[in-house]
Amino acid sequence: MTRSEDAESAATPTAGTDVFAADTAIARDLALVDWAATTPLGDPEGWPQSLKTTVSILLSSKFSMWMAWGPELTFFCNAAYRRDTLGRKYPWALGRPAREVWAEIWNDIGPRIDTVLTTGEATWDQALLLFVERSGYPEESYHTFSYSPLRDDAGLVVGMLCVVNEETERVIGERRMATLRDLGSDPSVVRTEQEMLDFARVQLSRNPHDLPFTLTYLLQDDGSAALAALTGIDDDHPAAVKLLPAGSETVWPTEAPVRGDSVLTPLDGALFADLPTGVWAEAPVQALVVPLRQQGGAPYGFMVVGLNRYRDLDEGYRGFVELVAGHVATGVASARSYQAQERRAEELAELDRAKTTFFSNISHEFRTPLTLIMGPVEELRHRLTDGEAREELEVIHRNGLRLGKLVNTLLDFSRIEAGRMQAQYEPVDLAAVTGELASVFRSAVDRAGLDFRVDCLPLPESVFVDRSMWEKVVLNLLSNALKFTFDGSIRVAVGVEDGMAVVTVDDTGIGVAAHEMPRLFERFHRIENARSRSNEGSGIGLALVKELVGLHGGDISATSVEGRGTRFTIRLPFGSGHLPAGAVLREAGTGPTAMTDPFVQEALRWLPDEQATTMSVTAGSVVDGSPDAPAPGAEAAHVLIADDNADMREYLTRLLRGAGYRVSAVDDGRQALRTIRATAFDLVISDVMMPHMDGLALVAALRADSRTASVPVLLLSARAGQEASIEGLQAGADDYLVKPFAAAELLARVRANIELARLRSHHARWRTALVDSLQEAFFVCDEDGAVVEINRAFTDILGYGPEGLPYRAIHPWWPDATDSEAHQQVSDAFALLLGSTKGSYTIPITHRDGHRLWATATFNQVDDPDTGRRVTVGTFRDVTAEHYAIQRESALAALGTCLARATSLPQALAGALDELKKLWRARGVMAAVFDHGDEPTLTSTDGTPVWAELPAERRGTLDSLRQGPVLTPAVNPTGAGILLEFPDGPLALWIDLGENRPFTGEDQLLLSLLAGHLAQGLNRAHQIDQQRETAIALQRAILGPAQLPDGFAVRYEPATQPLEVGGDWYDTVSLPDGRIGIVVGDCVGRGLEAASVMGQLRSACRALLLQDASPAQTLMALDQFAAGVPGAACTTVFCGVLNADTGQLTYSSAGHPPGILVQPDGTTRLLEDGRSLPLAVRTGKQRPEGTCVISARSTLLLYTDGLVERRRRPLSAGIDQASEALQDGRNTAVDELATDVMARLAPVGGYDDDVALLLYRHPAPLEMSFPAESSQLAPVRKSLRSWLDQCDLPPTTVQNVLVAAGEACANAIEHGHRDAPGATIYFRAEAYVDNLRLTIADTGRWKAPQPELNTHRGRGMRLMRALMHQVTVTPGPSGTTVDMHARIV
Amino acid sequence: MTTALTLSHGRRSDGTELLTAVGEIDMSNAAELARALAGTAGPLVLDLTEVEYLDSAGLSVLFPHAERLQLVTNPLLDPVLTISGLSDLTTVHGA
Repeated sequence: MTRSEDAESAATPTAGTDVFAADTAIARDLALVDWAATTPLGDPEGWPQSLKTTVSILLSSKFSMWMAWGPELTFFCNAAYRRDTLGRKYPWALGRPAREVWAEIWNDIGPRIDTVLTTGEATWDQALLLFVERSGYPEESYHTFSYSPLRDDAGLVVGMLCVVNEETERVIGERRMATLRDLGSDPSVVRTEQEMLDFARVQLSRNPHDLPFTLTYLLQDDGSAALAALTGIDDDHPAAVKLLPAGSETVWPTEAPVRGDSVLTPLDGALFADLPTGVWAEAPVQALVVPLRQQGGAPYGFMVVGLNRYRDLDEGYRGFVELVAGHVATGVASARSYQAQERRAEELAELDRAKTTFFSNISHEFRTPLTLIMGPVEELRHRLTDGEAREELEVIHRNGLRLGKLVNTLLDFSRIEAGRMQAQYEPVDLAAVTGELASVFRSAVDRAGLDFRVDCLPLPESVFVDRSMWEKVVLNLLSNALKFTFDGSIRVAVGVEDGMAVVTVDDTGIGVAAHEMPRLFERFHRIENARSRSNEGSGIGLALVKELVGLHGGDISATSVEGRGTRFTIRLPFGSGHLPAGAVLREAGTGPTAMTDPFVQEALRWLPDEQATTMSVTAGSVVDGSPDAPAPGAEAAHVLIADDNADMREYLTRLLRGAGYRVSAVDDGRQALRTIRATAFDLVISDVMMPHMDGLALVAALRADSRTASVPVLLLSARAGQEASIEGLQAGADDYLVKPFAAAELLARVRANIELARLRSHHARWRTALVDSLQEAFFVCDEDGAVVEINRAFTDILGYGPEGLPYRAIHPWWPDATDSEAHQQVSDAFALLLGSTKGSYTIPITHRDGHRLWATATFNQVDDPDTGRRVTVGTFRDVTAEHYAIQRESALAALGTCLARATSLPQALAGALDELKKLWRARGVMAAVFDHGDEPTLTSTDGTPVWAELPAERRGTLDSLRQGPVLTPAVNPTGAGILLEFPDGPLALWIDLGENRPFTGEDQLLLSLLAGHLAQGLNRAHQIDQQRETAIALQRAILGPAQLPDGFAVRYEPATQPLEVGGDWYDTVSLPDGRIGIVVGDCVGRGLEAASVMGQLRSACRALLLQDASPAQTLMALDQFAAGVPGAACTTVFCGVLNADTGQLTYSSAGHPPGILVQPDGTTRLLEDGRSLPLAVRTGKQRPEGTCVISARSTLLLYTDGLVERRRRPLSAGIDQASEALQDGRNTAVDELATDVMARLAPVGGYDDDVALLLYRHPAPLEMSFPAESSQLAPVRKSLRSWLDQCDLPPTTVQNVLVAAGEACANAIEHGHRDAPGATIYFRAEAYVDNLRLTIADTGRWKAPQPELNTHRGRGMRLMRALMHQVTVTPGPSGTTVDMHARIV
Repeated sequence: MTTALTLSHGRRSDGTELLTAVGEIDMSNAAELARALAGTAGPLVLDLTEVEYLDSAGLSVLFPHAERLQLVTNPLLDPVLTISGLSDLTTVHGA
């Protein structure tokens, strides 16, 4: 060691100091070298001029350089090289032989230096990998450098100069970025954990530099960690242990990562003896174990990463490994949450399917055998006379009725569920109807020994009820009361309360325990161990009652005290406004449909003492003539009375009921015809003389219709005589009776006719019963396609009953013509039906209540044996559920496609809303994201709505959705909505369907499935957005420069799709003489390869500009260089050198689009001189140069073609557009202007090519900071004056600005002086095209200024306001800012 | 360090006292001008022809003497003198 050991403290300048004067810091250390004693160069005083000059150039250069001189190649370097590359070798290296300094890489660089020394020709290396030992270990580093010869005074080569740019950060940064980008580039929505891990494995194995090996462990339920994926290491390596028990620390530490902490672990010991090395010569010596963090939970597992031993584990490396682990953890999270969601959705769908299937099956499957049981039983009851057998038959019959009732109740549920409950609400006197129903139960209640009170006072107006539903409601409640009441009474009451009709059913029964009350109306819920008259019961009666009352727009509640009794209260609104208009009848129809039988039958059987004597007792009650009790135990014949005389109707009704018939009565022939078409009757008794349609016309109409042709008709007439009776019989009546008549005679004729007809119609009835018991809808069409016969399933499915027959084409269930697609499908099918002998089709049809169904029909043409006419017989099946299942699959697929295609979050959301709108043919779909406070961000399929302008109702709906649970659909009459998780906050989605369009359970299921899917997809899009931001940030980091010279603004935007690093670049280089080199270039292609070419060209161009600041020379040298770099040819470059003081710009363009210069007078100039071919097309050809002066307040725009080039549009159009944007930004600061230009020129879907952009406005803003002292005023004024001269302003303006600025500075100094003398004042002046802006800010801590207190400061403020066009003073706790604008006239 | 300002006393041909200022006047050297003005009495001609900068600090020194001052100025100073109102109180001559 020959340097002075006490160098630091001595620091005495020795001989030669002036040689090193260019850099004092390095000079001190150079001066401490004992040159004479330790180097062949001797004392610096005696160095040749060439060496002195070279050393001085070296030291003054800001660019990183080192040199070697003389026989031992003695080493010198400058401050930049020391900082960037030399590390710990400084200052030891100074004056040493270069071979010693760079011993570890001498094999690499020695031959290159020899070449330079022997041939005198320069070398060039790009991003050469060198393992340098400057930090205590061999370090992976990359250097772009040239060696050029140094000559002595005699012109002989005696040394070399190395200009070097260390690119380690760039090369490693690009490599890591590529891995992160690839990890995030999985185009598919991740499905399973394994797929995700496989994908990650492939990506990680592609970076063996930073990840020599990785092991991914996932935690199991028992706390152990299982190896899930590995890269770079064989799975039979001892370090790749398959399972780490919980808490194990033996191979890999598990406790720390499970806690969520990363841990660095040394790789020593036998276990790690034979580790893989990745791409390196030697294996890792350390591994980083990082947790796979789960948001808000314990980690999913951890990843072991073998570390590149040639890099320090610095913040960047550690950050990279954690990002990698973060990616994998996110992947695991997505995959698991996707699986969980999928499982949940499948379970929901399965449950729904099972339920629907169960209800449909149970009802239909029971009905067919029931029909076939009850039919023969009925026959036998009439035929058998044997007492014992007959009693057993009665048991069968009763239980058949019971089963039928249960099945019908289940069917009702099924219909309600499917929205097929076909209600007909008619105005009734609720008190009368309810009272009548209650009276049906009287005998049973009496027999049970209970008190029965019916208090049904007449109501002020009608209540609209569906009679059959209402019967079920009342009868269910009564039978319930009877079942659980053993003493006391049952009371039925009707009244008015709070403007609603109220019906109560009270009992004094056993009551319901308080804890059971909430589940009282729950389906299939039975209260266990309750004392009751019967253990039978399915637990669905009350549930049905609740549904039925709900269909009436009413509600039902229950109160109960255990041991004291129960009260059910039903409230129904008056009027019909709350009911669907299509189902409301204006007037009351026929009387009760008499389904009371099964209820009473069942109730009677609960009562004691009835088992043995049912028949005799019930028969007795009929004989008693009790008018309300029909003949129990027998299928009473059903008789319809049509008479316009009310007295006669009542008389006949009483008479026939007394004889055990079921009786309905209507006022005229027309009503009779309608009623008969809807309900089968055993006999019609009709008066001849009636309004609207008389008896004869009725008979004719009945006979004309094949379905009613066989109904027996008994005509009553006041007209006596043979002729009249013949007329009646000729019309087709079965019998004729003249008034007045004896009751006995009437009854005899009725019985005879019914029996006769029963014999006659036996065959027809069986046919009807069988057709009606078909599960599938059945129809018969005539030759014109009119539907002339249907069965019950047809009515169940479509809502159209037999009363409307015949249904002529176009049938009422055809979809509306406005739905043209569906309408067309149906008319095609109809044509097929008429034109073919058999076939099958699936079509959309519309239920009577308006909802959409899908049906698959099959048909056959047959000849009607009676008429000989050709008819079509068909059946169809409701395939709505299957249809929607298919629709669901395709909707999911469509949404998936839309989400996968989206490249940003807003795009994904907008696309998804469109899909939903299409799917439900909605008016519109809106998404409200509650990302901040109560005012959400809205997205809509129609325009851009504003929250405050939405209807209050809609705001309320969205708000309440937000309060509700996620993924649970909410429906109201105008649409449906759902809440889902969104990256920025909860998202409430609303589908506007318009008024009263049904949104069925199917729709709700679909909506929640889609919403779950959407949440996933949006999350993914959010990740893409983040990746995009990362990509841009990384590219910008590669691009640099970190600090732009004043007056410049730059932008880089990668192409939207695919998201990749690109080959565009911009650069500014501060040259030693104070000028600024400006470069904008564009390499062919994109992706990492282009980025790497770009990096090389950029570095080369930078170095060339530093060596020879002529743009043409630089480009010519770059031609040479590009010729040797694969992929660099045809790069376009604009290269310029700007004198920022004068605005003088010298430039040369290698095939690059022209720069745009917009001048203050509004003219635009294109920088079209100095143009030549792209790089390396004609190497060696002289390149031209152009010059121009950027006049004061002009703006220069340089760019790559992505900014202006669009398909099918001339380049000049884009250039014009860019010029306009610059013109419009006359008074915008350059940085903001850069943003504006990028936004304004962006195509709708984002840029489809990379864009690099560079803006400069002349002159650059003036920025100064100075201490708050009055002595500073003169120098500040001097700088400002010289800057204002650059701005080319009228002398008056200059003087005004000087005084105003002086006053503002004086103010700041005066106030600052008070408390903090010498505090810093910040001064900035910026020129726009028509405007100057000055900002003076002080940072001192002084109270708000009160200039008014001081007269001459007050005068100063007045001067400022008078001289400038706008003055704003903003006092603040940390200082005062004065902002002034002067217009340039 | 104060801003460069040279002040020289003299008399006009009509015998009126003359004070000639050359340079710039701001808060760092306004006191100098104030002292120079205080050293004179009676009517005074203040020649500001060679003054390139004058701000409120300078003006506030001039106001107390406004009654007895005649100013000789250059066009650059006009806006400041007009806005401050000094030109209403004193006689101002162009150079």
